[in-house]
Amino acid sequence: MRNHDRIKALCTLSPSIILIGIFVYGFIGNTFWISLTDWGGVASLAENPVKNFTGFGNYTELFAGFLGGSFRQDLVNAVYYSVSLLAGAIGIGLFLAVLLDNKPVGEAFFRTVFLYPMSLSFIVTGTIWRWMLSPQGGVNILPTYVGLDPLQFRWLSSTEAVMEFDWQNLLQIALYILAAVLIIWGLWQVKQQPRRAMSRLLVPGVVLGGGAWLGGDILPKALFMEEMHGFNLATLGIIMATVWQYSGYTMALYLAGFTGISQDLRDAAMLDGASSASYYRHIALPMVKPITISAVIILSHISLKMFDLIFAMTGPDNGSTGHPALNMYLTTFRANEFSRGAAIAIILFLIAATFIIPYLISSYRQRRIR
Amino acid sequence: MAQVELSKVSKQFGATKVVRGIDLKIEDNEFIVLVGPSGCGKSTVLRMIAGLESVSSGEIRIGDRPVNQVAPKDRNVAMVFQNYALYPHMSVYENMAFSLKMAKESRDEIERKVREAAEILELTPYLDRKPAALSGGQRQRVAMGRAIVRSPSVFLFDEPLSNLDAQLRTQMRMELKKLHLKMNTTTIYVTHDQIEAMTLADRIVILKDGEIQQVGTPIEVFERPVNRFVAGFIGNPPINMLSATISGAGPGTMLAMGSLHLPIPPQPACHDGQRVLAGIRPDAIEIGSRLVGLRTDWHVQAEVVLAEILGGHSLLEFTVGDISMIAELEGRIIARPGEKVALGFDLDRLLLFDPQSGLALR
Repeated sequence: MRNHDRIKALCTLSPSIILIGIFVYGFIGNTFWISLTDWGGVASLAENPVKNFTGFGNYTELFAGFLGGSFRQDLVNAVYYSVSLLAGAIGIGLFLAVLLDNKPVGEAFFRTVFLYPMSLSFIVTGTIWRWMLSPQGGVNILPTYVGLDPLQFRWLSSTEAVMEFDWQNLLQIALYILAAVLIIWGLWQVKQQPRRAMSRLLVPGVVLGGGAWLGGDILPKALFMEEMHGFNLATLGIIMATVWQYSGYTMALYLAGFTGISQDLRDAAMLDGASSASYYRHIALPMVKPITISAVIILSHISLKMFDLIFAMTGPDNGSTGHPALNMYLTTFRANEFSRGAAIAIILFLIAATFIIPYLISSYRQRRIR
Repeated sequence: MAQVELSKVSKQFGATKVVRGIDLKIEDNEFIVLVGPSGCGKSTVLRMIAGLESVSSGEIRIGDRPVNQVAPKDRNVAMVFQNYALYPHMSVYENMAFSLKMAKESRDEIERKVREAAEILELTPYLDRKPAALSGGQRQRVAMGRAIVRSPSVFLFDEPLSNLDAQLRTQMRMELKKLHLKMNTTTIYVTHDQIEAMTLADRIVILKDGEIQQVGTPIEVFERPVNRFVAGFIGNPPINMLSATISGAGPGTMLAMGSLHLPIPPQPACHDGQRVLAGIRPDAIEIGSRLVGLRTDWHVQAEVVLAEILGGHSLLEFTVGDISMIAELEGRIIARPGEKVALGFDLDRLLLFDPQSGLALR
């Protein structure tokens, strides 16, 4: 490139580089710094508040401290919420996309209908669903239309929880999950590369899982006391609303992918003896894998940042439906615990990064190959 | 292996009739080529035989069973598509194995059949590659491999060579012919390329506007076209078609094309004074030593417009009086524009057509 062009490029790009540097990366750095201090409490809003460096104290408190219980429940909620949203929105979106891909009558109409919820704001969605899920209305009175008794379930205020576990055993649970992932992956690979799958995945998975089970008592405890967390049933309503809003979006993503597959491939698959189901399983779905990956990334970071929908549906103070993003807001701006709020923000940031960075790396590599 | 029979087969898309009542019987092991200009319905006929398109009316039989209501996968046909239609996420091996996998054949059987097909098509070194890492010709071979692993009773080819460059096309054409001789499977091949049609076919079916114009061996459709369209469509360079008038009858029959008057063999289908279209194939015009075999009253003095040497033979555009024609001549003809040359017409091969109906007069 000529020098002249370089200077021009630098001049055009530098304002945004500087602004992004300060307002995105600078502020991330500043938030991280605050999270390492003890800024908060009574004099936190003083003109020159006291900020003492405390290392990772805030993080320890959040994960293993006496007062971090609500954050831990929120984190567990976020995990269940993300997994349910991914499974629900991708599952239903894919199902709708397959239906519409077969060009039923009124396909264009239904496409608009399914995509429409996407255009609403979370506040509107939240308000509609709060009405629909109210104890004596909406969904609960549906059975009365066919002569049954109304449902009694308290969608947004239930205090029941399922799939509970003790936070004390976090390390053991993490090891179980890791072992399960290794074993499932190993079983997946065992047909193609039996030896490698055995030595690298299946055996380590079984050893890890067995070790965690046998040595559960000697593993260090994450907490000094018992603390049960689980899938709060009150979050079901929020999950339903989010799935309703995003299924149409994933449907549109998949439909675009399916439409992009040439008719010849479909014809070839039909002549090769593939049924409609095996066409999607063996041909269409593997071909739209990049879309699945994008959908997972997009939905998971939406679910991690979820704030307004929960705020609109259950308000900020409903403990059972809490979410780390909501907790961060309350901790920072209502309790004025700035340093702890910053720590929550950094934790959320790191979780989102674990999804997005591998995606960015792989898409950057693909672009370079091309 | 099977014969294929189409009886009064029609296809309509909305109000548009694409195929109009086709009757065609394709014999066992025959290599038949459907040829015609774009939009003549040839691909639709093929897709109907494959079952990818429903039949509006009429019946298709493969072997001895009607297949109108039979799903594509149960017709035991294999198809090679113009753009190959390889599954991009699968390796060559997986592409070829897919239909066998769908048919729930054993792993060993699949391996044996795929390796055998790969051997025939010289694809063994590429079995682990993805289609994107193959050349056009290799992809074409994979598409054929995918078709032959299933040992279908009918092969369908939809313009399989049109995405290849000229040289590769010639090579693949020969391979296709050899493959057919080896496999001996009924083959239906669609193309708009008449060289492919002439070289590959046992019989050619010429289609226009959804109707069959003529069915015959390559020589038949070339030498005895039933109408003006077939005469014009088959043959490259195209036939010289001139307005003419017949005079006289019996041995004294004369053909007048502009100022050129030539004696022609007796034409029982024509009468004195009849206006006709005279078709003279470019290769029915001779020059130099080859004039010796022709009647001397078929010799003319022509003026060269342009001479093109195409390696072993030449194309010569010339005028005789007020008519202009193209000749395809043996050897290298070096002639300057304006030069006078002696040419001869082989009028035993003259084709006459009715100017109104376009039908051959014979």
